[in-house]
Amino acid sequence: MNAWAVIVAAGLGSYLLRVSMIGAADRFRPPARLDDAAGLVAPSAFAALAVSDIAGAALDGGALQASAPLTAAAVAVLAVARTGSAYAGMLAGLPTLWILTALTSA
Amino acid sequence: MISYTAYRREFGAGMRAMTPWLVGVAPFGLVIGVSAAQADIPALAGWLTGPLIYAGSAQVATIEMLDAGVAPLTVIVTVLVINVRLILYSAAMAAYWRGTPLWWRLLAGYLLIDPSFVVGIDRYAHAPDRRRAHAHYLGGAVVLWVTWLTAIAVGVTAGARVPAWLHLEFLIPLYLIGQIVPKSRQAVVRRAVLVAGAVALLCLGAPMHLGVVAAIVAGVAAGSLTRANSAPPSQDAHP
Repeated sequence: MNAWAVIVAAGLGSYLLRVSMIGAADRFRPPARLDDAAGLVAPSAFAALAVSDIAGAALDGGALQASAPLTAAAVAVLAVARTGSAYAGMLAGLPTLWILTALTSA
Repeated sequence: MISYTAYRREFGAGMRAMTPWLVGVAPFGLVIGVSAAQADIPALAGWLTGPLIYAGSAQVATIEMLDAGVAPLTVIVTVLVINVRLILYSAAMAAYWRGTPLWWRLLAGYLLIDPSFVVGIDRYAHAPDRRRAHAHYLGGAVVLWVTWLTAIAVGVTAGARVPAWLHLEFLIPLYLIGQIVPKSRQAVVRRAVLVAGAVALLCLGAPMHLGVVAAIVAGVAAGSLTRANSAPPSQDAHP
Protein backbone atom coordinates (compact mmCIF):
# COMPACT_ATOMS: atom_id res chain seq x y z
CA MET A 1 0.00 0.00 0.00
CA ASN A 2 1.68 3.23 -1.10
CA ALA A 3 1.33 6.74 0.34
CA TRP A 4 -1.43 7.68 -2.09
CA ALA A 5 -3.61 4.72 -1.10
CA VAL A 6 -3.05 5.35 2.62
CA ILE A 7 -4.06 9.01 2.27
CA VAL A 8 -7.17 8.14 0.24
CA ALA A 9 -8.20 5.45 2.76
CA ALA A 10 -7.59 7.77 5.73
CA GLY A 11 -9.57 10.49 3.96
CA LEU A 12 -12.47 8.17 3.21
CA GLY A 13 -12.55 6.94 6.81
CA SER A 14 -12.49 10.52 8.12
CA TYR A 15 -15.38 11.43 5.83
CA LEU A 16 -17.43 8.49 7.07
CA LEU A 17 -16.85 9.67 10.65
CA ARG A 18 -18.08 13.14 9.66
CA VAL A 19 -21.32 11.93 8.11
CA SER A 20 -21.88 8.98 10.50
CA MET A 21 -24.57 10.62 12.61
CA ILE A 22 -25.85 13.02 9.95
CA GLY A 23 -26.94 10.19 7.67
CA ALA A 24 -29.09 8.69 10.39
CA ALA A 25 -30.77 11.97 11.28
CA ASP A 26 -33.91 11.38 9.21
CA ARG A 27 -34.47 7.78 10.26
CA PHE A 28 -33.61 8.22 13.91
CA ARG A 29 -35.17 10.89 16.08
CA PRO A 30 -33.32 10.89 19.40
CA PRO A 31 -35.18 11.30 22.68
CA ALA A 32 -35.31 14.84 24.09
CA ARG A 33 -32.76 13.96 26.74
CA LEU A 34 -30.22 12.97 24.08
CA ASP A 35 -30.97 16.16 22.14
CA ASP A 36 -30.26 18.16 25.31
CA ALA A 37 -27.00 16.30 25.78
CA ALA A 38 -26.01 17.02 22.15
CA GLY A 39 -26.41 20.71 22.95
CA LEU A 40 -23.64 20.37 25.53
CA VAL A 41 -21.16 18.96 23.03
CA ALA A 42 -20.23 22.41 21.71
CA PRO A 43 -19.34 24.12 25.04
CA SER A 44 -17.57 20.98 26.23
CA ALA A 45 -15.58 20.77 23.00
CA PHE A 46 -14.72 24.47 23.13
CA ALA A 47 -13.47 24.14 26.71
CA ALA A 48 -11.46 21.01 25.94
CA LEU A 49 -9.84 22.55 22.85
CA ALA A 50 -9.08 25.84 24.63
CA VAL A 51 -7.56 24.17 27.69
CA SER A 52 -5.46 21.85 25.50
CA ASP A 53 -4.15 24.77 23.43
CA ILE A 54 -3.40 27.00 26.44
CA ALA A 55 -1.75 24.21 28.43
CA GLY A 56 0.21 23.19 25.33
CA ALA A 57 1.50 26.76 24.96
CA ALA A 58 2.33 26.95 28.67
CA LEU A 59 4.29 23.70 28.56
CA ASP A 60 6.33 24.90 25.57
CA GLY A 61 8.89 26.79 27.67
CA GLY A 62 10.10 26.94 31.27
CA ALA A 63 8.10 27.90 34.35
CA LEU A 64 8.62 31.63 33.74
CA GLN A 65 7.58 31.42 30.09
CA ALA A 66 4.48 29.43 31.09
CA SER A 67 3.10 32.47 32.87
CA ALA A 68 2.64 34.34 29.56
CA PRO A 69 -0.06 32.15 27.95
CA LEU A 70 -1.73 31.47 31.30
CA THR A 71 -1.94 35.18 32.14
CA ALA A 72 -3.06 36.03 28.59
CA ALA A 73 -5.86 33.47 28.90
CA ALA A 74 -6.89 34.86 32.30
CA VAL A 75 -6.93 38.41 30.90
CA ALA A 76 -9.06 37.19 28.00
CA VAL A 77 -11.57 35.57 30.37
CA LEU A 78 -11.84 38.80 32.36
CA ALA A 79 -12.17 40.92 29.22
CA VAL A 80 -14.99 38.79 27.83
CA ALA A 81 -16.74 38.61 31.22
CA ARG A 82 -16.55 42.39 31.66
CA THR A 83 -17.53 43.42 28.12
CA GLY A 84 -19.72 40.52 27.03
CA SER A 85 -17.97 40.66 23.65
CA ALA A 86 -16.54 37.43 22.25
CA TYR A 87 -13.80 39.38 20.46
CA ALA A 88 -12.60 41.20 23.60
CA GLY A 89 -10.70 38.07 24.56
CA MET A 90 -8.56 38.24 21.45
CA LEU A 91 -8.08 42.00 21.62
CA ALA A 92 -6.91 41.84 25.24
CA GLY A 93 -5.27 38.42 25.28
CA LEU A 94 -2.91 38.55 22.31
CA PRO A 95 -1.14 41.83 23.22
CA THR A 96 -0.82 40.51 26.80
CA LEU A 97 0.85 37.39 25.42
CA TRP A 98 3.26 39.45 23.30
CA ILE A 99 4.27 41.73 26.19
CA LEU A 100 4.69 38.94 28.74
CA THR A 101 6.56 36.72 26.28
CA ALA A 102 8.96 39.58 25.55
CA LEU A 103 9.45 40.27 29.27
CA THR A 104 9.90 36.65 30.35
CA SER A 105 12.29 35.74 27.54
CA ALA A 106 14.42 38.88 27.91
CA MET B 1 -37.59 30.54 1.59
CA ILE B 2 -35.18 33.37 2.32
CA SER B 3 -34.22 35.96 -0.29
CA TYR B 4 -30.97 35.79 -2.21
CA THR B 5 -29.84 39.01 -0.49
CA ALA B 6 -30.50 37.61 2.97
CA TYR B 7 -28.73 34.36 2.03
CA ARG B 8 -25.73 36.30 0.73
CA ARG B 9 -25.65 38.44 3.88
CA GLU B 10 -25.63 35.34 6.10
CA PHE B 11 -22.97 33.70 3.93
CA GLY B 12 -20.79 36.82 4.36
CA ALA B 13 -21.45 36.92 8.10
CA GLY B 14 -20.28 33.30 8.32
CA MET B 15 -17.09 34.22 6.46
CA ARG B 16 -16.44 37.12 8.84
CA ALA B 17 -17.13 34.97 11.90
CA MET B 18 -14.46 32.56 10.63
CA THR B 19 -11.77 35.28 10.37
CA PRO B 20 -10.14 34.69 13.79
CA TRP B 21 -9.84 31.01 12.95
CA LEU B 22 -8.28 31.78 9.56
CA VAL B 23 -5.55 33.87 11.19
CA GLY B 24 -4.92 31.07 13.64
CA VAL B 25 -5.01 28.08 11.30
CA ALA B 26 -3.22 29.53 8.26
CA PRO B 27 0.25 29.31 9.89
CA PHE B 28 -0.57 25.70 10.86
CA GLY B 29 -1.48 24.99 7.23
CA LEU B 30 1.83 26.52 6.11
CA VAL B 31 3.73 24.31 8.54
CA ILE B 32 1.90 21.21 7.28
CA GLY B 33 2.77 22.20 3.72
CA VAL B 34 6.43 22.66 4.59
CA SER B 35 6.55 19.31 6.42
CA ALA B 36 4.85 17.63 3.44
CA ALA B 37 7.47 19.08 1.10
CA GLN B 38 10.29 17.82 3.31
CA ALA B 39 8.80 14.35 3.94
CA ASP B 40 9.70 11.31 1.90
CA ILE B 41 6.35 11.27 0.08
CA PRO B 42 5.26 12.98 -3.16
CA ALA B 43 4.54 16.67 -2.47
CA LEU B 44 1.16 16.39 -4.18
CA ALA B 45 0.23 13.45 -1.91
CA GLY B 46 1.14 15.60 1.10
CA TRP B 47 -1.07 18.41 -0.17
CA LEU B 48 -3.90 15.94 -0.83
CA THR B 49 -4.12 15.24 2.91
CA GLY B 50 -5.78 18.68 2.98
CA PRO B 51 -8.87 18.03 0.82
CA LEU B 52 -9.08 14.32 1.70
CA ILE B 53 -8.44 14.13 5.46
CA TYR B 54 -9.12 17.84 6.19
CA ALA B 55 -8.05 17.80 9.84
CA GLY B 56 -4.72 19.38 10.82
CA SER B 57 -3.53 17.00 13.54
CA ALA B 58 -4.53 13.93 11.54
CA GLN B 59 -2.72 15.34 8.50
CA VAL B 60 0.46 15.93 10.51
CA ALA B 61 0.26 12.37 11.85
CA THR B 62 -0.26 10.97 8.35
CA ILE B 63 2.68 12.85 6.84
CA GLU B 64 5.05 12.13 9.72
CA MET B 65 4.13 8.43 9.95
CA LEU B 66 4.39 7.90 6.19
CA ASP B 67 7.75 9.69 6.26
CA ALA B 68 8.89 7.38 9.07
CA GLY B 69 7.77 4.29 7.15
CA VAL B 70 5.06 3.24 9.60
CA ALA B 71 2.76 0.40 8.45
CA PRO B 72 -0.19 1.66 6.32
CA LEU B 73 -2.87 0.13 8.55
CA THR B 74 -1.35 1.78 11.61
CA VAL B 75 -1.41 5.16 9.85
CA ILE B 76 -5.08 4.76 8.87
CA VAL B 77 -6.18 3.62 12.35
CA THR B 78 -4.24 6.48 13.94
CA VAL B 79 -5.97 9.03 11.70
CA LEU B 80 -9.39 7.59 12.53
CA VAL B 81 -8.71 7.65 16.27
CA ILE B 82 -7.52 11.27 16.06
CA ASN B 83 -10.68 12.16 14.14
CA VAL B 84 -13.10 10.25 16.34
CA ARG B 85 -14.29 13.58 17.81
CA LEU B 86 -15.90 14.24 14.42
CA ILE B 87 -18.59 11.71 15.38
CA LEU B 88 -19.55 13.95 18.30
CA TYR B 89 -19.64 17.02 16.05
CA SER B 90 -21.68 15.04 13.53
CA ALA B 91 -24.17 14.08 16.24
CA ALA B 92 -24.50 17.67 17.40
CA MET B 93 -25.12 18.96 13.86
CA ALA B 94 -27.48 16.13 12.87
CA ALA B 95 -30.43 17.74 14.62
CA TYR B 96 -29.98 20.97 12.64
CA TRP B 97 -29.49 19.22 9.29
CA ARG B 98 -32.47 16.88 9.66
CA GLY B 99 -34.77 17.13 6.65
CA THR B 100 -32.20 18.82 4.40
CA PRO B 101 -31.40 17.36 0.95
CA LEU B 102 -28.87 14.54 0.83
CA TRP B 103 -26.41 16.61 -1.23
CA TRP B 104 -26.45 19.30 1.46
CA ARG B 105 -25.72 16.85 4.25
CA LEU B 106 -22.91 15.21 2.29
CA LEU B 107 -21.35 18.62 1.52
CA ALA B 108 -21.89 20.10 4.98
CA GLY B 109 -20.56 16.92 6.57
CA TYR B 110 -17.45 17.02 4.42
CA LEU B 111 -16.73 20.58 5.62
CA LEU B 112 -17.24 19.67 9.29
CA ILE B 113 -14.15 20.28 11.43
CA ASP B 114 -13.44 22.14 14.70
CA PRO B 115 -13.64 25.74 13.35
CA SER B 116 -16.67 25.17 11.09
CA PHE B 117 -18.40 23.36 13.95
CA VAL B 118 -17.71 26.19 16.39
CA VAL B 119 -18.80 28.98 14.02
CA GLY B 120 -21.73 27.01 12.65
CA ILE B 121 -23.35 25.69 15.81
CA ASP B 122 -23.32 29.11 17.42
CA ARG B 123 -25.47 30.48 14.58
CA TYR B 124 -27.77 27.43 14.55
CA ALA B 125 -28.49 28.06 18.23
CA HIS B 126 -29.54 31.68 17.61
CA ALA B 127 -30.74 32.04 14.00
CA PRO B 128 -34.46 32.75 13.62
CA ASP B 129 -34.54 30.66 10.43
CA ARG B 130 -32.70 27.38 9.87
CA ARG B 131 -31.92 28.35 6.25
CA ARG B 132 -30.08 31.46 7.41
CA ALA B 133 -27.97 29.30 9.69
CA HIS B 134 -27.20 26.95 6.78
CA ALA B 135 -25.89 29.94 4.78
CA HIS B 136 -23.88 31.10 7.78
CA TYR B 137 -22.33 27.66 8.24
CA LEU B 138 -21.53 27.34 4.56
CA GLY B 139 -19.93 30.81 4.39
CA GLY B 140 -17.60 30.07 7.28
CA ALA B 141 -16.86 26.50 6.21
CA VAL B 142 -16.08 27.36 2.58
CA VAL B 143 -13.71 30.22 3.40
CA LEU B 144 -11.97 27.96 5.93
CA TRP B 145 -11.61 25.18 3.35
CA VAL B 146 -10.18 27.52 0.69
CA THR B 147 -7.77 29.17 3.17
CA TRP B 148 -6.63 25.84 4.56
CA LEU B 149 -5.85 24.30 1.18
CA THR B 150 -4.19 27.51 -0.02
CA ALA B 151 -1.99 27.69 3.09
CA ILE B 152 -0.87 24.08 2.64
CA ALA B 153 -0.15 24.71 -1.05
CA VAL B 154 1.91 27.80 -0.20
CA GLY B 155 3.78 25.79 2.43
CA VAL B 156 4.47 22.96 -0.03
CA THR B 157 5.67 25.25 -2.82
CA ALA B 158 7.27 28.21 -1.08
CA GLY B 159 8.02 26.95 2.42
CA ALA B 160 6.74 30.27 3.70
CA ARG B 161 6.95 31.05 7.39
CA VAL B 162 5.03 33.36 9.67
CA PRO B 163 7.14 35.09 12.38
CA ALA B 164 6.92 32.83 15.44
CA TRP B 165 6.83 35.79 17.86
CA LEU B 166 3.34 36.73 16.64
CA HIS B 167 1.94 33.53 18.23
CA LEU B 168 -1.06 33.72 15.90
CA GLU B 169 -1.95 30.15 16.82
CA PHE B 170 -2.93 31.52 20.25
CA LEU B 171 -5.85 33.36 18.65
CA ILE B 172 -7.74 30.07 18.59
CA PRO B 173 -7.95 29.48 22.37
CA LEU B 174 -8.64 33.20 22.85
CA TYR B 175 -11.52 32.98 20.40
CA LEU B 176 -12.85 29.89 22.19
CA ILE B 177 -12.72 31.77 25.51
CA GLY B 178 -14.88 34.42 23.87
CA GLN B 179 -17.41 31.75 22.98
CA ILE B 180 -17.35 29.91 26.31
CA VAL B 181 -17.49 32.71 28.88
CA PRO B 182 -20.84 34.29 27.90
CA LYS B 183 -22.53 30.87 27.71
CA SER B 184 -21.17 29.84 31.10
CA ARG B 185 -23.72 32.02 32.89
CA GLN B 186 -26.05 28.99 32.76
CA ALA B 187 -25.22 26.52 35.55
CA VAL B 188 -25.58 23.48 33.28
CA VAL B 189 -23.19 24.86 30.68
CA ARG B 190 -20.79 26.13 33.35
CA ARG B 191 -20.56 22.65 34.87
CA ALA B 192 -19.99 21.07 31.44
CA VAL B 193 -17.27 23.61 30.62
CA LEU B 194 -15.45 23.25 33.96
CA VAL B 195 -15.48 19.45 33.88
CA ALA B 196 -14.45 19.28 30.21
CA GLY B 197 -11.61 21.74 30.88
CA ALA B 198 -10.42 19.80 33.94
CA VAL B 199 -10.48 16.46 32.11
CA ALA B 200 -8.67 17.97 29.12
CA LEU B 201 -5.98 19.19 31.51
CA LEU B 202 -5.68 15.80 33.21
CA CYS B 203 -5.50 14.03 29.84
CA LEU B 204 -2.93 16.37 28.27
CA GLY B 205 -0.48 13.53 27.77
CA ALA B 206 -3.05 11.29 26.12
CA PRO B 207 -2.08 10.41 22.56
CA MET B 208 -4.03 11.12 19.38
CA HIS B 209 -6.50 13.74 20.64
CA LEU B 210 -8.10 11.15 22.94
CA GLY B 211 -7.88 13.63 25.80
CA VAL B 212 -10.22 15.97 23.92
CA VAL B 213 -12.67 13.15 23.29
CA ALA B 214 -12.63 12.11 26.98
CA ALA B 215 -13.08 15.75 28.00
CA ILE B 216 -16.10 16.24 25.72
CA VAL B 217 -17.75 13.06 26.99
CA ALA B 218 -17.08 14.04 30.63
CA GLY B 219 -18.36 17.59 30.06
CA VAL B 220 -21.58 16.40 28.43
CA ALA B 221 -22.13 13.85 31.22
CA ALA B 222 -21.54 16.43 33.95
CA GLY B 223 -23.84 18.98 32.32
CA SER B 224 -26.56 16.38 31.79
CA LEU B 225 -26.35 15.26 35.42
CA THR B 226 -26.62 18.86 36.58
CA ARG B 227 -29.66 19.38 34.36
CA ALA B 228 -31.30 16.17 35.64
CA ASN B 229 -30.67 17.12 39.27
CA SER B 230 -31.96 20.67 38.86
CA ALA B 231 -35.05 19.76 36.81
CA PRO B 232 -38.32 20.45 38.64
CA PRO B 233 -39.93 17.27 39.95
CA SER B 234 -42.65 15.93 37.70
CA GLN B 235 -46.28 15.78 38.87
CA ASP B 236 -46.21 11.97 38.64
CA ALA B 237 -43.45 11.80 41.17
CA HIS B 238 -45.16 14.14 43.62
CA PRO B 239 -48.91 13.80 43.39
